[in-house]
Amino acid sequence: MEVFLKPKVKPLIPVEAEVLTPDRFAGMKLSEIEGLPVYVGNRVEKLSDYFELEGSISEKPADQQITILGDASRIKYIGYGMTAGRILVEGGAGMHLGSHMSGGEIVVKGNASDWAGAEMSGGLISILGNTGDLLGSAYRGSREGMTGGCIIVKGNAGIESGIFMRRGTIVVEGEIGSFAGAHMNGGAIFIFGKASRGVGAEMRGNGSMIVCFKGVDSLLPTFIYNTIYKPNFMRIYLKFLFNTLKIDKAGEYFETPFKRYVGDAAVGGDGEIFIAET
Amino acid sequence: MEVFSDVVCPFCGCLCDDLEITVENNKIIKTKNSCAISLSKFMHHEDNRLNYPTVDGRRTDLVEAINESAKILASAKRPLIYGLSSTECEAINRSIELAELIGGVIDSTASVCHGPTIITEQSIGLIKSTLGEIKNRADLIIFWGSNPTESHLRHLTRYSMFPTGLFTPEGRKNRFIVAVDVRKTKLSRIVDLFLEIEPNKDFELISALRAIVRGVKIEAEQVSGIPINILKELAERMKKARFGVVFYGLGLTQSEMGDMNVNAAVGLVSDLNHHTKFVILPMRGHFNVAGANTVSSWLSGYPFAIDYSRGYSRYNPGEFTAVDLLERKEADAALIIASDPVAHFPASAVEHLTKIPLITIDQKVNMTTLLSRIVIPAATVGIEADGTAYRMDGIPIRLKKIIEPSEGILPDSEILKMMIDKIRVLKGGY
Ligand code: SF4
Repeated sequence: MEVFLKPKVKPLIPVEAEVLTPDRFAGMKLSEIEGLPVYVGNRVEKLSDYFELEGSISEKPADQQITILGDASRIKYIGYGMTAGRILVEGGAGMHLGSHMSGGEIVVKGNASDWAGAEMSGGLISILGNTGDLLGSAYRGSREGMTGGCIIVKGNAGIESGIFMRRGTIVVEGEIGSFAGAHMNGGAIFIFGKASRGVGAEMRGNGSMIVCFKGVDSLLPTFIYNTIYKPNFMRIYLKFLFNTLKIDKAGEYFETPFKRYVGDAAVGGDGEIFIAET
Repeated sequence: MEVFSDVVCPFCGCLCDDLEITVENNKIIKTKNSCAISLSKFMHHEDNRLNYPTVDGRRTDLVEAINESAKILASAKRPLIYGLSSTECEAINRSIELAELIGGVIDSTASVCHGPTIITEQSIGLIKSTLGEIKNRADLIIFWGSNPTESHLRHLTRYSMFPTGLFTPEGRKNRFIVAVDVRKTKLSRIVDLFLEIEPNKDFELISALRAIVRGVKIEAEQVSGIPINILKELAERMKKARFGVVFYGLGLTQSEMGDMNVNAAVGLVSDLNHHTKFVILPMRGHFNVAGANTVSSWLSGYPFAIDYSRGYSRYNPGEFTAVDLLERKEADAALIIASDPVAHFPASAVEHLTKIPLITIDQKVNMTTLLSRIVIPAATVGIEADGTAYRMDGIPIRLKKIIEPSEGILPDSEILKMMIDKIRVLKGGY
């Protein structure tokens, strides 16, 4: 079942709306949902102050789709902590999109802001535009970022994407900002555009892997070159990206050899950076 | 004529506490032991002063200025409080109380200087020592992206280069001094080893040093413009030092990706402690910026970039830092305490600051007071008011009051207390 939210105004002060999840909506009446609290600066306001609501509500979160018909780039925490269901944002999304989510799916047709998918543990986030900084990262002070799930960005991603990543997958089809995958301790990042400076900085290992298809701006001196080869697992990964996640670009690299670097030696890490040799 | 001894200098993070100030008829006429900055600040502390409160450019009395400020802050939805680093701890304490009361965001100037230091300190800690320990013990001193000859003039003579100490009886001779910077400076001419590195390449250099300290062979011939054999020698020297120290400054924190730089530097120092004693200290600029972070941490749990809009403290640099908040045009009122953001913030942040009701508490006329709707003059902490400040190494020191402020001019903490009391009344005694 699908509920539609039509933005009424472009808020001057961003609205914190962690209530925008299928988990919260499920089993409620539309009028109850309209009255759910959102936080705007130091005031508590109602969801209906910012959105017109229409549609039907399901009993279970998994059957619920929330569609935001327009721009939500000043709405923070969309899909925060969601466990199931689907959210579709027709425009952009504000900070902390899908942070701490553990299941379900979010699709954003526009751009997403900083901390999208931060510390998420499951589910899928697809962003058709660009994202801000700290995609799938850890919040400051935390040593564990993303611990599961998948994020796909069709455009570019900002700096410090995937820092402190522990598990899960990030795919960026465009370019990625500096220090992607810093402190990574598990998980995989695929970068189809150019990777910037500091990729994999202080990466610890634990099976963590960063794959750069269009080279790296300047690889850290503490990543030690190892070999060039066509790893079997890479082909399996690429097929998964191509067939399941529908990343067309992955199809171009089935037969590509990769240079393998191990690091970050600065911290005694044994993570891997693969750079496509095209 | 009265001579005050052991006066603490309230102008930089060194907080030199050995000044001698001579006062005659409530005027400072002489200073002893001051550096050039301190001398000029003490002797000219009366220049450019704000002498009376103003509202919309109109002269008014303190009560009206407080009432008007209280009205703005009590009704604001997303008020910002910013500054704090150049005032004493009691005023910082009150600022945080005020932020909680009005459900605002509070941030200190640390967010535009040593923010990365604080982020690192919180996530992995910082191996520090006091400046006294360094003076007495350190035999290897590394200045990384910091230049005390410009910013902390007495640092070299009091703590780090020249003084004799318990285990450094011959002063300068007992210390090997290294400077790392992107250009030659006055400091680079007097050190034993100077590494002129490529701009924005600190992280790479620190990483390479860390790897070498771990015994890893680096394949590159040079890193960040420095030949690898020089790095190897430096790494050896670091491991063999009896007591090493890294003093780092804005060159490290404010170059590209400062948080990663500081993180790496702290990591290097932590690795070196497998071999010897090594510590790392930020060269904090404003005299009480360390106090702003300390007081804020013990009151709210967080050092800077704190949001009280939901009634409890939340911390997120990048979201609740003043510049970011203003650039996103979020704040709808601002209170500036002892700082000049209009002169120092990026234009995009200043632009929003000029569009919202701006209240400034300061001693002197500055760019921010010129653009403020309400201006409240304050007494100069450490000269006209006492209070506590934290030195760059985290030692609290009591500042002295040596002269009386002009009539009607109160210290920051008292102005803030009046504002809080008034806002409580407006909010119905909450
Ligand atoms: S070094 Fe700093 S604290 Fe010491 S006298 Fe100079 S300005 Fe004052």
